[in-house]
Amino acid sequence: MKILLVEDNPELTQNICQYLSQQGLLCEAVATLYEAEDRILSFDYDCILLDLMLPDGNGLQLLQTIKTAHPQWNVLIISAKDALDDRLKGLDLGADDYLPKPFHLAELLARIRAIFRRSKLGGSDMLEFNEIQINHQSLEVTVLGKLLDLTKKEFDLLVFLLTNKNKVLSKQAIATHLWGDYTDDLANFDFVYQHIKNLRKKICAAGGKDYLTTVYGLGYKFDSNAS
Amino acid sequence: MKLLNLLTTLYLLLTLATLLVGGVFIYQKLESEIDFELGMELERQIDAFAGRIAQGIDPEALQSERLEIKVLPSEMEEESLSLRDTIAYHDPMNRAEKQLKASKSVKIDGRHYRISYFNLVVETEDITETVVYTMLIVLLVQLLAVVFFFRSISNRILRPFQHTLGKIQQFSFQKNQPLVLEQTNIREFAQLNQFLERMSAKLLKDYRQIKEFSENISHEIHTPSAVIRGKLEHLMNLEITEEQAHLIHSAYQNNEKIHRIVKSLALLAKLENEEFEQPEPVNLTQLIKSNLEMLQELIQLRGIELQSAISKPITVPMHPHVAEIMINNILSNAIKHNQANGWIKVELTEKELVVKNSGKTLQSKPNDLLERFQKESQNPDSVGLGLAIVQQICKTYGFDFSYESESQVHVMRIRF
Repeated sequence: MKILLVEDNPELTQNICQYLSQQGLLCEAVATLYEAEDRILSFDYDCILLDLMLPDGNGLQLLQTIKTAHPQWNVLIISAKDALDDRLKGLDLGADDYLPKPFHLAELLARIRAIFRRSKLGGSDMLEFNEIQINHQSLEVTVLGKLLDLTKKEFDLLVFLLTNKNKVLSKQAIATHLWGDYTDDLANFDFVYQHIKNLRKKICAAGGKDYLTTVYGLGYKFDSNAS
Repeated sequence: MKLLNLLTTLYLLLTLATLLVGGVFIYQKLESEIDFELGMELERQIDAFAGRIAQGIDPEALQSERLEIKVLPSEMEEESLSLRDTIAYHDPMNRAEKQLKASKSVKIDGRHYRISYFNLVVETEDITETVVYTMLIVLLVQLLAVVFFFRSISNRILRPFQHTLGKIQQFSFQKNQPLVLEQTNIREFAQLNQFLERMSAKLLKDYRQIKEFSENISHEIHTPSAVIRGKLEHLMNLEITEEQAHLIHSAYQNNEKIHRIVKSLALLAKLENEEFEQPEPVNLTQLIKSNLEMLQELIQLRGIELQSAISKPITVPMHPHVAEIMINNILSNAIKHNQANGWIKVELTEKELVVKNSGKTLQSKPNDLLERFQKESQNPDSVGLGLAIVQQICKTYGFDFSYESESQVHVMRIRF
């Protein structure tokens, strides 16, 4: 999957590109509208990550250009402007999602994958990893063919962990993903831990390996090398 | 009280006092003046009688009810004129009346006479009547003048003031226009207007600065905070020792806290500045239900029993995003500060939303927890802005938010 990141903060650009490429995505970055337009003319992308406040203008302009020229490209707006207006305007203009800054890198990847699933695969793809199969359409998870009885949050949690496999996900990142931005302080109340514990129990009970590990109290990760 | 009414009343009271004091003086002056004039007149009469006695007329023949002539021993010294009030019979009125008696003794041809002559005095009641009558007329004229003055002239004089007052009442930060006030020739009003114009311009400038600050702060602090978060997330994924993990964890937690504080403060500032667009009808019933659904697993995880009475669809005018934050904060507050195997009761009626929950007995006063950065929880990661945000939201939309706590029961109530 090929991504174009339009973002003027070099540190953030480095963070994002490093994370996405570690997860097997091809990430190119530009810092201005001008450069972005240049790239769009000559290359092909699956998804554009678009910051709105750019040194040479508003990203919404570029969004219009992209949507006219390449309607099949996905656009994910990433912006520090949490103004609802911008959010609605962006979505109206055809953006696929809006992620307010600052976001967790794991969240960004999860959103990109979700957009991709929705638009390219009609939401029907199966996420598979060894003995685990996840069906996004029916929201069903099977381990070794056995159907797991998961709650909605446990399902979301598993998808989130598996999408970011082998990465340590902080409790905050998980809480934000599950309950939204304004309830992220729930992370400090052990709820994430209890969800992980339950999910782990259910996978192991169905005969799956113990993939979910705790990393020094920092967070949790889906460890694909688990024995 | 209206300024005009106050001025009128005070002015009339002052006039009344002046008239009273003036009346007393006039009364006294009038009385002494009359007595003096009358005394002079009586003395002239006595002198005339003395002249006639000197001409040889028998004093006995002169006697009348108004004249009393008495012979005094001749060796006594002559008495000068003395005046005193007395009651004497008054023939024309056929009754005893208060009269003024003037006495003087004269020596004529070696004989000593004391001649006393009476005359009616102007009665005190008459003087009083005259004075009161005059004063009342003056008062009436004053009253008419005052009413005329205040109703017409002073209205004209105070018009710039009224105009200024009206303009101030219309002043609003949303319009973003400084006050422009009428020119006036009255120096005090001109000063007031000048001051107000300057102040309004300053207020708007400060307001814009704060607004810009709150807009910028989310960007300016969020960006570095996001960079730090990203770096730490990368760091977490490297080969690290447990000790390093603890350091990373601590740095990460604190960065998250900064992020939450800035986000909450930016939201509070936005609410305070009334930056959210026009409210629209929000279906609270639906909103609460979907929020409870989202938090349902947390409720179950903590073994909390949930009772809700929210069947009727209730809509309130709010910004949907803000409504969501409000509901979210209240419900997650009830979950976070609950105890294992506790309970939550959610009740929504047309009048109010009541969320009751079990929890630890409060150490501090419930109202203190509505203040910013006040928290009961010992958790260092808890910021203490949740209820402050709810309260600010309620203030913005004119709702009444209260938080009460009695031993182990906590009640949050929003009256619409």
